[in-house]
Amino acid sequence: MNTKDSPGVIRSSSGIELKNYYTAEDIPESHRHRVHSAPGDAPYHRGWHPTGYRSKPWRIFQLSGFGKPEDENERIKFLLKNGETGFIMEHDRNTADHCYNVDHPEVVARREDVGLTGAVMQSVRDIAICLDGLPVDTSFGHAGGAVVQHAPFALAGYWTVAKKRGYDLSKIAGTGQSDFNLTYLGCVTKQQIPTDAGLRFNTDIIEFCGEHLPRWVPVSIAGYNAADTGLSPDQELGTLFANAVEYLDEIKRRGNVPLEQAAKGCAGVSFRASIHIFEEAAKLRAARLMWSDLLRSRYNITDPKTANLRIHCVTAGSKMTYQQPLNNIVRGTLMALTAAMGGVQSLGVSGYDEALSIPSEHAHQMSLRIQQVIQEETNFCAVTDPLGGSYYVETLTAQLAEKAWEFFEEIQQQGGYLASLDSGWLHAKAAENQHSEFMALESGEQHIVGVTCAREDESPFEVDGFMGTDDAFDVATERLQETLRTRHEAGACAAMKNLEAVCRSETNIMPVMLDALEAEVTLGEIGDIYRDVFGDWNTPIQT
Amino acid sequence: MHDIQQLISAALDGKRAALARLLSVIEGADQNLLAIESQLTPPVGEAFVIGITGPPGAGKSTLINRLVPHALESFGQAAVLAIDPSSPFSQGALLGDRVRMQGGEFGERVFIRSMASRGEEGGLARATSTAVRLFDACKWPVVIIETLGIGQVELDIMNLADTVLVVLNPGWGDEIQANKAGLTEAGDVFAINKADKPGAAQTRKDLLDSVSLISSKSMPDIMETVATTDKGVLELWQAITAHHARLISSGELVERRHNRQRGLIRRIISDQINRLMDDALNTEEVAMLLEKSTVGEVDIHKALHRVLALMNR
Amino acid sequence: MDHSQKRILMAKTGLDGHWRGPTIVARALRDAGFEVIMIGMANTDDIVRAAVDEDVDLVGLNIGGHINVALRAVNSVREARPDVPIFAGGTVPPHAKKQLEALDVEVFPPGSQLVDIVAAADRLTGRSAD
Repeated sequence: MNTKDSPGVIRSSSGIELKNYYTAEDIPESHRHRVHSAPGDAPYHRGWHPTGYRSKPWRIFQLSGFGKPEDENERIKFLLKNGETGFIMEHDRNTADHCYNVDHPEVVARREDVGLTGAVMQSVRDIAICLDGLPVDTSFGHAGGAVVQHAPFALAGYWTVAKKRGYDLSKIAGTGQSDFNLTYLGCVTKQQIPTDAGLRFNTDIIEFCGEHLPRWVPVSIAGYNAADTGLSPDQELGTLFANAVEYLDEIKRRGNVPLEQAAKGCAGVSFRASIHIFEEAAKLRAARLMWSDLLRSRYNITDPKTANLRIHCVTAGSKMTYQQPLNNIVRGTLMALTAAMGGVQSLGVSGYDEALSIPSEHAHQMSLRIQQVIQEETNFCAVTDPLGGSYYVETLTAQLAEKAWEFFEEIQQQGGYLASLDSGWLHAKAAENQHSEFMALESGEQHIVGVTCAREDESPFEVDGFMGTDDAFDVATERLQETLRTRHEAGACAAMKNLEAVCRSETNIMPVMLDALEAEVTLGEIGDIYRDVFGDWNTPIQT
Repeated sequence: MHDIQQLISAALDGKRAALARLLSVIEGADQNLLAIESQLTPPVGEAFVIGITGPPGAGKSTLINRLVPHALESFGQAAVLAIDPSSPFSQGALLGDRVRMQGGEFGERVFIRSMASRGEEGGLARATSTAVRLFDACKWPVVIIETLGIGQVELDIMNLADTVLVVLNPGWGDEIQANKAGLTEAGDVFAINKADKPGAAQTRKDLLDSVSLISSKSMPDIMETVATTDKGVLELWQAITAHHARLISSGELVERRHNRQRGLIRRIISDQINRLMDDALNTEEVAMLLEKSTVGEVDIHKALHRVLALMNR
Repeated sequence: MDHSQKRILMAKTGLDGHWRGPTIVARALRDAGFEVIMIGMANTDDIVRAAVDEDVDLVGLNIGGHINVALRAVNSVREARPDVPIFAGGTVPPHAKKQLEALDVEVFPPGSQLVDIVAAADRLTGRSAD
């Protein structure tokens, strides 16, 4: 990691120098007393609940989706049948991330890509097909809307379908994502509303959910997307909380809803579980510690229900290799165990074919089986915070929190999280790490099994990329025309007019978005309004 | 030089690939540059040359992307030359301006060319002025040049463009004085981009103060834009074309172009002299003389005269 | 007609904005002395237009998604610039890799070494003889 180190020095991926072994004296003074706390006690590094996985094992929660809405529906049913305990809808990224309909020239130019990562859903009709027969009322559903400008559409679509089926919105549980790290850092789209408009959307969603959908996690800040772009674990933590204060400060400034309610809405986050197992587990412990510290010191919030961070984890996709892909089952298992040790409420394991394509049905099944083996066979769930009291892990927990706060401060010095995205400062940090990570591999300082060493492969199993269906674009095109032809046009036009007016005002966008979905306004039409009103984010990176 | 002649006639004939190749040829070596320059005389001088400069991150590329449709409406076609820095270590470069100005929908009507500065200071690449003349000769009616924009004073654009647009952002008043003076002097039109951010009014004031210090300068148009939403871009384009019209009606355009020709000749001659000098310095004879002069065996003047003599040969 | 400075076009064929891989590669090529013209997410028309106007010596495609989208770009570049070699990287599953290689496109799947990518750029642009 650092070429200036003398030989023999080993560092964690956050740059913390690691000792050969640890003793009680290594645990930083300020952290020592916390070692004796119990799970469920503030500051919660030992876990969110006194009896941990004994009361409730983590939710098995896999990202899934491709093709037509009915293809995605079928895959979700397959996962639920095989033991998934919540479900995630993924919308086709070509159309969703950009708020394009399939007839947009940029989409037409890539028509075969449509439906490859997520199902195409351009109107509430498509969302209804995708949700057909799914337990919207009893299960924890992820409505999609990972990218900020797409979230209001995805959420409103899910809720509209739920309402039509007669469910009370105040009782349904689930989440969207609407993640800044994905949108503006990790996976920069060709077109996106600027960050200040994005902040407005997310605070609108937080306020709306606080009022109408108390069981819904309105936004889910994803450290994952910061980490898989290159930020180190301490930076992942610092970035996540810098993002959170951006939301909370804005909520406070607006003063429409109680801050505590909004903080609860921000308390469902996601992290990446990567391959450095102890550091990653310590990171999740540090995250809970930091959240309760932050709420207490910055906002004077101590209510356990709010100050207790709920964590979804996804194993690191970028650690999955193209070469000898079955090795990834081992990597997935290690990273899943790491997440479980650190303490999570839900977990997704990347498919073993991650570096080749979206997961095949079999890869998906393996992601479930990995988690089921840990939950059912290993007696893992018997003991909460199994790493608690480890000299090493407690030390790392405290050190990571400290380093993360330093990074948080660096971001504040850049003018805050949004400013550090707009200027490309965070992207530069990520690129720096990517570069040194690569250099360490090239120099042979670091190894990846099957890639830089142990390259012989005698596997009789050929793993090829999963290519989904081939009719998603054609069917979506037909359905779009059908929707435009058969919807109540005057109603749709009125809804669009209202949406545009609200976009230009400071009124919460969600009520008119629900009206728009109800009136069968399509995704691309909504995107056109955004592009007109908000313009395009000035991407600070050049690829 | 047979190939070059062929390329030139193909390019003048409207062959795009030939023009593209010629641009590489002039970037490649100075003698090519001269050979092409000599074939392009007498200069055509029909193209409207717009230079766009300003600090890094001001939004120059994004603004150009927004100006291009207006340029197409006014002129039918537009060429863009985007200059980015070369790495002083590897001589390589990352040329990323095109990301923000793909303009695929304009098809053949837009010709974007990325150029690395290749060690040149002053905001342009060595081949930029010849590139402009090539576009001009090939009947591209407007050439927009985006300078390096790495923060230092980039005044070369004044000698190349008819109209220089300086792009600034709110908060520009905090810039260091030298940069401020340079940019103020260079600008014929100013755009305060990202004008929706706080501080636009202060920047306008700073700019006015700064301009008023230059006695020879008439008060330029200061426009406010938000390139990301297209706000103020039409008005900016109108200010740019109005400046151009004033240049024509006042006769200043002719004067500017005379200066440009003068600069060009000066540049060609000094390039030639430099090359002759380097050739002379690289001869074994001079190398030996220099070696002796370092240890005091010959007078340095003898080496100097020998170099001059070799250059005159 | 010596112009020794080699220029490489780098484009992403898909609309998926993961920038990790292409950025690392672009940096490595820059550090090896190439001028790298980046055009980001580009459709076939954008790629062809840039390959011609920028007079590049090599086209690099970052591929994610369906192989047909990449093949369309490859075929169109071949048509407009038959002289220019193409290499590709990204999430390219084995079946897609074979199809590209059949079209004489060198493919660098995830896990490829930068030294190998730079060496290929040297060879394909004629900077080195090997």
